[in-house]
Amino acid sequence: MIAMDLRGVPCPMNWVRARLLLETLDAGAELQLQLDPGEPIESVPRSAVEDGHDVAVDGTCVTITKR
Amino acid sequence: MLSEREIERYSRQLVLPEWSGAVQQRLKDATAIVIGAGALGSPAATYLACAGVGRIGIVDGDWVEISNLQRQPLHYTPDIDAQKSESAAQKLGVLNTEIMVEPYPVEVDPDNAAAIVAGADVVLDCTDSFAARYLINDACCAERIPLVEGGALGFGGIVFAIRPGASACYRCAFPTAPANAPICSDVGMLGAAAGVIGSLQALEALKLLAGVGRLPGDRILQFDGLTLEQTLVQTSRRRDCSACAGLAASQESRA
Repeated sequence: MIAMDLRGVPCPMNWVRARLLLETLDAGAELQLQLDPGEPIESVPRSAVEDGHDVAVDGTCVTITKR
Repeated sequence: MLSEREIERYSRQLVLPEWSGAVQQRLKDATAIVIGAGALGSPAATYLACAGVGRIGIVDGDWVEISNLQRQPLHYTPDIDAQKSESAAQKLGVLNTEIMVEPYPVEVDPDNAAAIVAGADVVLDCTDSFAARYLINDACCAERIPLVEGGALGFGGIVFAIRPGASACYRCAFPTAPANAPICSDVGMLGAAAGVIGSLQALEALKLLAGVGRLPGDRILQFDGLTLEQTLVQTSRRRDCSACAGLAASQESRA
């Protein structure tokens, strides 16, 4: 599992960075993100779902499984 | 590789579902030639530069006049008497410092058309004469370079993206120039209407370079700014077209 600490990175740059990293991963790979509460934890998982990935949220930690 | 600055600069398109780092890299590696730095070329080249097309050539042999400024937003009042391709290239270079913009202060003619389009990944025809359109079309067909035609007059215009060998070319759609065609100095033109057409040319060019959206071809968009009515006119390849009849679709480099 690859981890990325995106605390302190505002929207939409947090998702931009996660997305660019996801692009380099193989399907099925997992990416764990640490996000700020508020807008980041609300919008990043939604964007990941819209991109077609599997998403699990635990507090401010998001695990994305690349589709 | 995209730099940190580029990732921030292009962040609002990098979040588009259709976009990606790989798409952005394709734009960065691409060359676009914009022929004409006037009413169409100003908005078209601006959006190509904003979006991060890595190398943009601006071709125009004309000088800025005060009567241009009402519809050619890359030129400002202090640019009067400046060379248009240089005035445009200077603005674009400031707008996006990550790209390369090259001015070519020449008019397209039969001797230089092939050299002007050579090496381009896409050409935008933002000229205002039928003679130039046929020259550019024929040169792009010969080299199989995608071409986005645009024309504006009054409150409206047309946009027509061409993939030589795969879709109708300008000569297929318009085999001969209309007699007594109206021109801008007679009929007039509103800058905002030309801006719509130039922006649509940039959009089609960016989609072609990025490989996103519906591939353009065989459709001419007509836009009437007075009514906001848009019409897609169907066209098709001519088997006897002097520019593109010999091009087989199967040889197209990118479908």
